[in-house]
Amino acid sequence: MESHVGASYQVARRPRRPARYWIARAVLYGVLILFALYVLVPFMWVIFTALKSNYEIAQDPLGLPPNWRFENLAQAWNQGKFSRYFINSVIVTVPIVLLVVSLSCLAGYGLARLKMPGRMLIFYFFLVGLMVPFTAIMIPLFYILRDIGVLGTYWAMILPQTAISLPFGIFFMRAFFSGLPYDLTDAAKIDGCNDFGVFRRVMLPLAGPAVAALVVFNFMGAWNAFLLPLIYLQSDKLRPVMTGMMFFTTRWGPDYSMSMAGTLIVMAPIMAVYLVFQRQFIQGLTAGAVRG
Amino acid sequence: MTDSIRQVFANRKLRDYATGYAFVIPALVMYVIFVVYPFFYTIYLSLTKWDGAKPVKEFVGFLNYERLFADPRLWSALSHNLIWIVLGTVTPVAIGLFLGVLLWRGLRGMVFFRTVYFLPVVLAPVAVGIIWKWMYNPQFGPINSTLRAVGLDVLAKGWLGDPYVALPALIFAGVWGYFGFCFVVIMAGLQNIDMEQIDAALVDGANGPQRLWYIIIPGLRHVLTMITAFTLILGVNVFDIIWITTRGGPGRATHVIATYTYNTAFRESYVGYGSALAIVMGTVSLVVSFIFISIRERGGD
Repeated sequence: MESHVGASYQVARRPRRPARYWIARAVLYGVLILFALYVLVPFMWVIFTALKSNYEIAQDPLGLPPNWRFENLAQAWNQGKFSRYFINSVIVTVPIVLLVVSLSCLAGYGLARLKMPGRMLIFYFFLVGLMVPFTAIMIPLFYILRDIGVLGTYWAMILPQTAISLPFGIFFMRAFFSGLPYDLTDAAKIDGCNDFGVFRRVMLPLAGPAVAALVVFNFMGAWNAFLLPLIYLQSDKLRPVMTGMMFFTTRWGPDYSMSMAGTLIVMAPIMAVYLVFQRQFIQGLTAGAVRG
Repeated sequence: MTDSIRQVFANRKLRDYATGYAFVIPALVMYVIFVVYPFFYTIYLSLTKWDGAKPVKEFVGFLNYERLFADPRLWSALSHNLIWIVLGTVTPVAIGLFLGVLLWRGLRGMVFFRTVYFLPVVLAPVAVGIIWKWMYNPQFGPINSTLRAVGLDVLAKGWLGDPYVALPALIFAGVWGYFGFCFVVIMAGLQNIDMEQIDAALVDGANGPQRLWYIIIPGLRHVLTMITAFTLILGVNVFDIIWITTRGGPGRATHVIATYTYNTAFRESYVGYGSALAIVMGTVSLVVSFIFISIRERGGD
């Protein structure tokens, strides 16, 4: 192994030697495949375990399922009330994404392009919110949500999740709108558009890619949120997938086949969507780090 | 005449301002009610003794904070955060940089590797936790089963049940779920590095490590700072993956500040003391963010 690494080093200097070139290639691919296995092997074992019976797991925990028991998935789906959990997740996620994106576009545009006294002050006021962790506000939020009477409804998650997502959304959309050329808005204004018209007809259509990134980012944030529904959506009727999965795997803890089937049910849709919309996912989820 | 012109001008200006505020106010209202107000409310609660149920919150001044400094559970939780931050930042960034440099020049199968490495990033931390809880399962988990299969029974153990191993084991799971993110961001940064500089260095006879140290890393400075900041803040806030696997156990071996705060305020109903912990956490997070912003401002010409 070590001599191979040495060989690859030589090749960097003298790339014309075919044998060494191929050895270097082999080492390179070997390393890349090793990391790919680090990622894929746990997935593989989740799938294998989910499709075995518990007896088969005890007999051979590592191997392929002797009989591929896809009925495990159906059983977990029914026992785990996953249809309820998935519906709940959709019911909370959709309004959160819509609210965050529309409020962020409006405020981001206003703070980037419109004149008003205290504009920078308001912007910095929002920016401070980027540094406040959810833990620092989660305790009183529980009592606030109780006092305004939304505890026990989906709003108990929609409202706080939207609010904590706004600082980043505004920061992101403001940066985007600031970068657009001014000629466009001036032309539209001469044609008789008011500020809202300029926003809706000229600026918003240009913001497609930025909005898409923000949608992915917030969709994943809301769908994957765990602590927030753990505190504010405690009733089983309201539970979204993430906390639902926790209660499912806790209840079926020693039943490995069932708990892995439940895990597979929760993972599969998001992975399927990722494989189809890969570029959008990667852009959306890294948007904060790449742009900032 | 001049009066009316001035009036029209003033009105026009006011109208412009009103439009501006109309764009901002809906977001501002949400933000103030559900972020700013609760933050100050947390400060207030941290000065009280309250179980969350009694009608009266007993004001106790700084008593909770005095207790905090003498609370060994807080210091142990913070030390776990620190370990998580150091290992959980250095490892994925190093792996991401390593893979990024390997794949930089493009390679057949590049898209495949990127897709695979990023795959766990789309999973919820909760799912990552559940997957690895199974991997580490003492009885039938794949890790112990593999060790037994190759005759290394001595190494098989209850990974998450051993107080010395549980935290590193969870960090390893966290790295699994996160290094793909670092990889993709670093790859994006590598695209901005000037190839001519690399070629010039090659002509001058710079070897691989020299090129990495003198050209690639300085070229990635901005990107590396950004990811480090990101990862650091995640490390301060880490909760999901720990709560789903060990709930801070065994003993207190994997408690971090977020799990300790949640447990204190919501499960043990010490709302006042929990709020003081939340303020500590908010302060830590604020200081970390602040340090990073100032480093970035100084370094990011």
